[in-house]
Amino acid sequence: MKTSPPSFFGELYKRRNVLMQLVSQQLILRYRRTALGYLWTLINPLLMMSVMAVVFATLFKADLKTFTVFLFTGMIPWNFFSSVVSQSGSSLINNEGLIKKIYLPKVIFPLSVVLALLIDSVLSFLALFLIILAIGGSLSWAALFIPVAYLLLFFFALGIGLITSVAMVFFRDLQHVILIAMQGLFFLTPIFYKNEALAGKIGWLVGLNPVVPFIELFRAPLYSASLPKSSVIIQALLLSLAAISIGLLVFRRHEKKIVFRL
Amino acid sequence: MSSIRVKDLSIKFRIYHDRSPSLKDYFANLFKRQRQIAYSDFWAVKDVSFEVKAGDRLGIVGHNGAGKSTLLKALCRVYESSEGEISVDGRIAPLLEIGAGFHPEFTGRENIYLNGAILGYTKQQLSVIEPEVIAFAEVEEFIDTPVKYYSTGMYMRLAFSLATAMHPDILILDEIFAGGDSSFMKKAKARMYELINKSDIMVFVSHDTNLVSSLCNRVIWIDHGKLVADGAPDEVLARYLAGRLND
Repeated sequence: MKTSPPSFFGELYKRRNVLMQLVSQQLILRYRRTALGYLWTLINPLLMMSVMAVVFATLFKADLKTFTVFLFTGMIPWNFFSSVVSQSGSSLINNEGLIKKIYLPKVIFPLSVVLALLIDSVLSFLALFLIILAIGGSLSWAALFIPVAYLLLFFFALGIGLITSVAMVFFRDLQHVILIAMQGLFFLTPIFYKNEALAGKIGWLVGLNPVVPFIELFRAPLYSASLPKSSVIIQALLLSLAAISIGLLVFRRHEKKIVFRL
Repeated sequence: MSSIRVKDLSIKFRIYHDRSPSLKDYFANLFKRQRQIAYSDFWAVKDVSFEVKAGDRLGIVGHNGAGKSTLLKALCRVYESSEGEISVDGRIAPLLEIGAGFHPEFTGRENIYLNGAILGYTKQQLSVIEPEVIAFAEVEEFIDTPVKYYSTGMYMRLAFSLATAMHPDILILDEIFAGGDSSFMKKAKARMYELINKSDIMVFVSHDTNLVSSLCNRVIWIDHGKLVADGAPDEVLARYLAGRLND
C-alpha cells in the first residue's frame, strides 16, 4: 500500500483551495478598508481610460469614439501581459517565508498571480464596454471572440510568467532587466500607433514582437468589428502553445531547486 | 497504517562564498575556460536511513546545526532529497512553524481560512472547526480584526489552535511547546498530548532531553548530518548527554 506522489497537475488540483485563497487574497488586499472596496477594480480603469481617451484623442486630433476603442483594445491586453511577466517574476521570491516552511506545489504562486491579474483585466475590459456604450459606440457580434482572445493570451502570458518566476530566483538582477525590457517592448507594440506605422528601418522588430498577434486578437473584434484573420489566430495559438509548454518544462525542471536558492 | 521510510537520505546545500551569482557573472563565466568555483557543498544530512512504523514516537536529538530541522523539513517535503529517498504513508501534519502563511492585513477569521488552506484543510472542514479554533484561542472579541493588531500572545494562540485543530496520522514537531501565558500553556499542553496520543506516528525534535524521554519510545541522535545512534530513549539519551560533555 505505497502511495506514489501525485502528478504535477493532480497535486495542483488537490491544493486548489490554496490557489483560490491566494487569488482572493491578492484581489481583496489592494482595496482593503476603502469605502468602495472591490468596486475600485472597475472604477480605476474606468477613470484612467476616460482621462487617457480624452487627452490622446485631442492630442492626436483623432475621433474620440474610434480612438478610444483603438487605444484600449491594445492597452488592456498589454497591461495584462506586462504585469504578468513582472509580477509572477517576483511571486516565488515574495513567498520565500512560506516556501521554506511548508510544502506546497510551487506553481501555485505564479499561477495565483496570473489568475488574479486575469480577473482584473477582464474587469477592465468590462469597463471598456461600458465606455464604448456611453460614448455611443456599438458592439458587434465579433466581440464574442474576446473570451477566446483572453484564453490564448492567458496561456501565453502564464508560460512566460513561469519562466521569469524561476529565472528570477536564480538571477535577482532580472527584475531590473525585465522592467527595462518591458518598457522597450511596449514601444515596439502597436498600442498607440497602427501596425503599419512603424515601418521602415525597425519595422522588422515589430514583426518579431510576439505580443503583436495577441493585440490584434483583441483589436479586430472591437475596432474593425470583424474576427481576427485566421493567420493571426494560428500565430497566436502556436505562440501560446509554445510558451506554456516551454514554461511548464522549465518550471518543472527547476522547481525542486528553488527552495535551496531563495 | 502509517509509515515513514528514509533510505540513504542526503541533502546538500550550496554555500556561496561571495554574493549570489548575478546574470552578468553567469554570462561572463560561460565564456571563461576555467570556471571559478565560488561555492562549496555542504551536506546538512548525509546517508541517513531509518524506518518509522505506526505507534512509534520518535525523538531526534543533536546539537545546533546538526541537521535535525533539515531532516524534518525533508520529511514534510520542503526540501527535496539530493540523494536517497523518503517515502511517507499517511496524512502528515507539518507543525514546524505555526503561523507560517498568516497575513497581517487579514482578520483572524480570514486567516483561519487562508492558513487552513495552506495546512491542507478543506473549506468544509474549516467551517466545522472554525468555532472551536476561535474558542480555544480565546480571541472571540478580535476575530474580525486584522491580525496585525493582535498581541503576540493572541497571534500565537490562534496559530496554535488552528494548527492543532485536526488530527493527522503523522505528527512532525519542532520544539512547539511555547507561547501564551501559563493558563494557556496548560491548555495547549493538554491539547498537544491529545494530538500525540491520537497520531499514528510522532517525530519530535527537541533540545529538552527530559521532554524527549517522557514523550518518545525511540530516539535517534544526529551529529553533523549523520545518524550516530538509534534506539531506546534512555540508552541513546545517556550516550548523547555523555558525548556532549566530552565536546
